[in-house]
Amino acid sequence: MSFEPITGRYLNITVQGRRQRIYVETEGKGTPVLCLHTAGADTRQWRHILNDADLTAAHQFFAFDMPWHGKSLPPEGFQTEEYLLTTEAYMETVLAVSRALGLDCPILAGCSMGGRIALQLAALHGDAFSGFIAIEASDFQPAWYDIDWFHRPDAHGGEMGAALVSANISPFAPKAERWNTLWMFMQSGPGVFRGDLSFYTRDDSLIGRLAQIDTARTRVHLLVGAYDLTCTPEDARRTAAAIPGATCTVMEELGHFPMSEHPAGFRPFFLDALTRMKVPADV
Amino acid sequence: MRATLAQMQYRLHNTPHLLRLGRLFSDTVLLEVDGAEFYLTFRDGWLETIVEGPSRKTPWRFAFRTDADALAQFWQPIPKPGFHDIFGLVKIGRGRIDGDILALVKNLRFFKEFMGLARAEARTEELA
Repeated sequence: MSFEPITGRYLNITVQGRRQRIYVETEGKGTPVLCLHTAGADTRQWRHILNDADLTAAHQFFAFDMPWHGKSLPPEGFQTEEYLLTTEAYMETVLAVSRALGLDCPILAGCSMGGRIALQLAALHGDAFSGFIAIEASDFQPAWYDIDWFHRPDAHGGEMGAALVSANISPFAPKAERWNTLWMFMQSGPGVFRGDLSFYTRDDSLIGRLAQIDTARTRVHLLVGAYDLTCTPEDARRTAAAIPGATCTVMEELGHFPMSEHPAGFRPFFLDALTRMKVPADV
Repeated sequence: MRATLAQMQYRLHNTPHLLRLGRLFSDTVLLEVDGAEFYLTFRDGWLETIVEGPSRKTPWRFAFRTDADALAQFWQPIPKPGFHDIFGLVKIGRGRIDGDILALVKNLRFFKEFMGLARAEARTEELA
């Protein structure tokens, strides 16, 4: 028997008046860290971190599939609605999951749209967390593509989405992990990537909120891959510069899905980010 | 460029998974390099003809325009950021896509892996 240490369970919560059955994976003991996946993907992006015995010796990691993603079902009645993620629903979902898990001010680590919402939560609900690791996260990027490409009856949105986001994966990524990362996009439910991109490419409300983030109370560290075409190092640096006290590290050999596309390359940067969360902001 | 395209054609025809991915792709693509035109006509995933321009009469579905130096960097075993993908070339101002972009997106994996077939090492799958 060689089970991985990760445990997966289901959590029933109510978000904006609707019941949601949320799939949560967890492993470790110590400082709680809540992990958020990217658009069009799921918790599997974090499996290498949750399986890292050295990291889980001092941290209890939680990663959950957003509604409509991975093993979390869409809410009842989904069959007649258009999935469009909003900042408000996303924040309420993260807060509701954190509460339901009984977490006391966890570190929030999110990638891409997860990084975007981490910064929104840092601005609006900073007291609910002890630090923010915003990976491939920036204030705003309008889409250079048409998000409707990814939900249409004459083509497979998942395959097109995977082909598009492959542009964001570093050539240093091991082949197996490159394709595991893309597989999650290929598996994404119809219209889900499009609905996530609606949030990511149309809501620019974070721009005006960045200066509200109080890094004297909770640390904010940004990580960005040099091969990320969606959130470029310039985007992340601009965003960090607008948050007084925030720090930013460029990961030269990584792309937009660092914890998934190149786990070994990402590990030292993530470990450094976790360490930074423990250091008072004024040091 | 002509020899490189012939090599890519040979590799495509000897790459079963690419022929399978492109089995519904039958269109002409304009590849423009430093202003030189190459009309690539695909049928069911096979690259049937490579015709050099210039031509004002040849219809094409979509075009990818770039320069020889950018392509040379794109075809490095480990390209620098921005040079690692055709959309990266567009992003850094070294490439342009015109025409029916949706037709490209519907066949994106096929076309990106085809464009990667001239890469120095046989790592086209992961680098395209």
